Amino acid sequence: MNTGTFNPPEIDYLAIAPILIIFGTAVLSVLVEAFVGRTARRPVQLVLVIGSLLVALYFVISQAGTRTITANGALVIDGPALVLWGALLVLSLLGAMLMAERTLDPSGDVFAARAAALPGSEDERQFTQRGWVQTEVWPLFLFSVSGMLMFVAANDLLLMFVALEVMSLPLYLLAGMARRRRLLSQESALKYFLLGAFSSAFFLYGASLLYGFSGTVSLPGIAEAISAKPSQGPLLILGMALLVVGLLFKVGAVPFHQWTPDVYQGAPSAVTGFMAATVKIAAFGALLRVMYVAFGGIRWDWEPMLWVIAILTMFVGSIVALVQTDIKRMLAYSSIAQSGFIMLGVIAASAEGLSASLFYLIAYGFGTIGAFAVISMVRQSGGEATSLSAWAGLGRTSPVIGAVFAVFMLSLAGIPLTSGFVAKFGVFAAAIESGDTWLVIAAVVASIIAAFFYVRVIVLMYFSAPAKEPAVVAVPSAFTTIALAAGVTVTVVLGIIPQPLLELVANADVFLR
Amino acid sequence: MESSRFIVLPAPLIHEAPEHYACIGREGFHKRAKSFSYEQGAIDPVNVYTPILILGILAFGFAAFSIIIATLTGPKRYNRAKVDAYECGIEPTPQPMGGGRFPVKYYLTAMMFIIFDIELVFLYPWAVAFDQLELFGFLAMALFLFNLAVPFVYEWRRGGLEWD
Amino acid sequence: MNEVIEPNLGETLVFWICGGLAVVGALGMVISRKAVHSALWIALTMINLAILYVANSAPFLGMVQVVVYTGAVMMLFLFVLMVVGVDSSDSLIETIKGQRVAALLLGVGLTIMLVAGLGAGLSGAGTIGLDAANAADGGNVQGLARLMFSDYIIAFQATGALLITAAVGAMVLTHREYWQPRKSQRELSQDRFTDGGHPGNKPSPGVYARHNAVDTPALLPDGSTSAISIPAPLRARDDARAIDVNDITNVRRLTEGESE
Repeated sequence: MNTGTFNPPEIDYLAIAPILIIFGTAVLSVLVEAFVGRTARRPVQLVLVIGSLLVALYFVISQAGTRTITANGALVIDGPALVLWGALLVLSLLGAMLMAERTLDPSGDVFAARAAALPGSEDERQFTQRGWVQTEVWPLFLFSVSGMLMFVAANDLLLMFVALEVMSLPLYLLAGMARRRRLLSQESALKYFLLGAFSSAFFLYGASLLYGFSGTVSLPGIAEAISAKPSQGPLLILGMALLVVGLLFKVGAVPFHQWTPDVYQGAPSAVTGFMAATVKIAAFGALLRVMYVAFGGIRWDWEPMLWVIAILTMFVGSIVALVQTDIKRMLAYSSIAQSGFIMLGVIAASAEGLSASLFYLIAYGFGTIGAFAVISMVRQSGGEATSLSAWAGLGRTSPVIGAVFAVFMLSLAGIPLTSGFVAKFGVFAAAIESGDTWLVIAAVVASIIAAFFYVRVIVLMYFSAPAKEPAVVAVPSAFTTIALAAGVTVTVVLGIIPQPLLELVANADVFLR
Repeated sequence: MESSRFIVLPAPLIHEAPEHYACIGREGFHKRAKSFSYEQGAIDPVNVYTPILILGILAFGFAAFSIIIATLTGPKRYNRAKVDAYECGIEPTPQPMGGGRFPVKYYLTAMMFIIFDIELVFLYPWAVAFDQLELFGFLAMALFLFNLAVPFVYEWRRGGLEWD
Repeated sequence: MNEVIEPNLGETLVFWICGGLAVVGALGMVISRKAVHSALWIALTMINLAILYVANSAPFLGMVQVVVYTGAVMMLFLFVLMVVGVDSSDSLIETIKGQRVAALLLGVGLTIMLVAGLGAGLSGAGTIGLDAANAADGGNVQGLARLMFSDYIIAFQATGALLITAAVGAMVLTHREYWQPRKSQRELSQDRFTDGGHPGNKPSPGVYARHNAVDTPALLPDGSTSAISIPAPLRARDDARAIDVNDITNVRRLTEGESE
């Protein structure tokens, strides 16, 4: 009987402190739901959420130089992981600000007073009238953030899968809890959930095939198996393809993008903004890690596949966005197109590609969360004015908000002096350096198409006569104001002086393996 | 003999076990026996589960036999009273549209059951290997159990377990 | 290491019987018209898979398959089916034209790709078996426990987050709260004895009638039916069962015969 002695895993608790803090606070905030009285819950939860995000951010910054693989190789804390953690935590903070807003909607919170009350029922009316709020969104929010943090630092496919689910499951719930247009919101949650579960199955199947190929689920282990075996064989290629399908779904790449418009439209704008920014970052972080660490040795096999998907994603996203009449759907297709551009950085498969992708993700995250902050402020009698026609003339009636939104649109379009330009320039340069010139030419064409619909919104806001039922910009509380100000500041500052962040991501251009 | 810590059997049985399996192995599993020498604890599953398989076949066979023989030999004389529900039984009422819907409250119970069911799945290997896992294993499981108790407490406090 | 282990007769038998039944269950699930039948078919598939796992030296996996999938997940399926009330009468009209054809083509394509790929990938590979792995740590379950508490400890604890989310989510989406205080026993009994209340038991359904189903109204001595004897929802739905004329005359005969 050769039962060796059990060795407890060595865990660097300090290095993974951000995950532990967010996870612990999430559990604590479920207890708050259980034991704190109804009226006191919201302030307590807000203190917990904002406090924990700040403390976690402090730990990320304070150990910026950490490069370690811990917990028996399950978690890796390296440059990209720390940059992504920082970005995720800051954007989650802004997302929390949007979700905490309660002065924009005359009836109160962003979320339904009670998600379990039937839409349109007497119960719902009573709960809304009494100003009840569904404070469970806060633990769910924190669990989602903890999942994201694990997702970008996961070094084996098993933890990556669990983290993917921890990240997604609360988002499915949050998407279905809008205060207004609840049926649309619930429909979007169901679609998101079903398609998300479906894509998880792909991920899992891919992981199992890769395990069959290499006998391990660890990313460096798979890379070793690839270099050790003379022929790759179908198990590896199939497994990789299926795994990547699961990740591309979260990224929103064509043809796995179908959920995006419905979910972006149906979910409460605050959740959409949070999700659009952070899930994109987390999913690309994981995709980059998988591609660079595990499949770096067979980049010639996956690059053609991602070429096709990147081109499809850029063009379908840009072209379909042209014909949208709903601003949230338009931004959804815009986010699809942006995924295509970020994939250039993945395809580059180089240190420059990695750091350019990180920069792009950060620039995109701030621009998007800011844009959704504006959308949550532009309102009509029935709630948010998401129809594009209601936005006509908004730039003249509310010059400040119009200008701020124009900045976000210009940044997403990639116009110079905004963060979007620097970001696009970075990924294009990295792709050219890796020899993907044709891909970059396609991306430039797609950018020009995309610029049309971004500029169209600006034209609509400034050069069209106001609509019959013009939208009004509601005055937000400090929460949305902070998020909006942060979004626009980062977008402009990164456009003018991108050097500090460029240096930061250039220092984080290697995955530890 | 270290493994006697894990398999709780009377002492003589432990000594006999390897021979017993090797004996079965000689008859039907010689190919395997060649490539892998049986050690205590490494138990060939097909051998172990053969009695269960036989029992299952017997049980199935008995059930099938009883039903078939009853339908073949029993007299069949139906009348109105006979096909009615038995005295205290309740006649089924017509179902509403959609084939009878349950209150969504059951869902909460089902979900709670699943959560503790999955907890059980993790508890099982922990309990089996408890003595190997040292203090770390104990603390890890304690943390896990605490985490799962949290939503339970939440549900309890918020009236999710009340049936009204 | 890749020495091929020939399966013996017992293993072969178990594989073909259980594998065949699993495929039958899967087909039955797809073909069944009623959703509940589909759920039962898939239970058959799962149990057979569990037997296969056990036969392949993975007793823990077999146990989990039965406890979690056949037990819990199937039960959840059934609950959801009953809560939603899925029926074959649900509309099956395509909302997107050509969706079914496209789904069929793509599904067949994916199947061909997977079968061909797996076939090619696995044809040359030898079987290693779990015996060596199971023996290393003193048993299948012990080995799993060691992995769970060492290499995969983070994933294990993160599963806790998943389960908490599931519980909180279920509460948020389905737990009904009350915006007004609920009536106490005292208030309920006061309601019962004030004007318009009905102290005492209401007549139970089916009194004097042949049936005792809840939708069968009680018959009053004069042969008429008692409306309050059936539950209010059934009354509202107009779902009370019609009474056999013979029963009414029987009751009248009984009651009148006794009074004379």
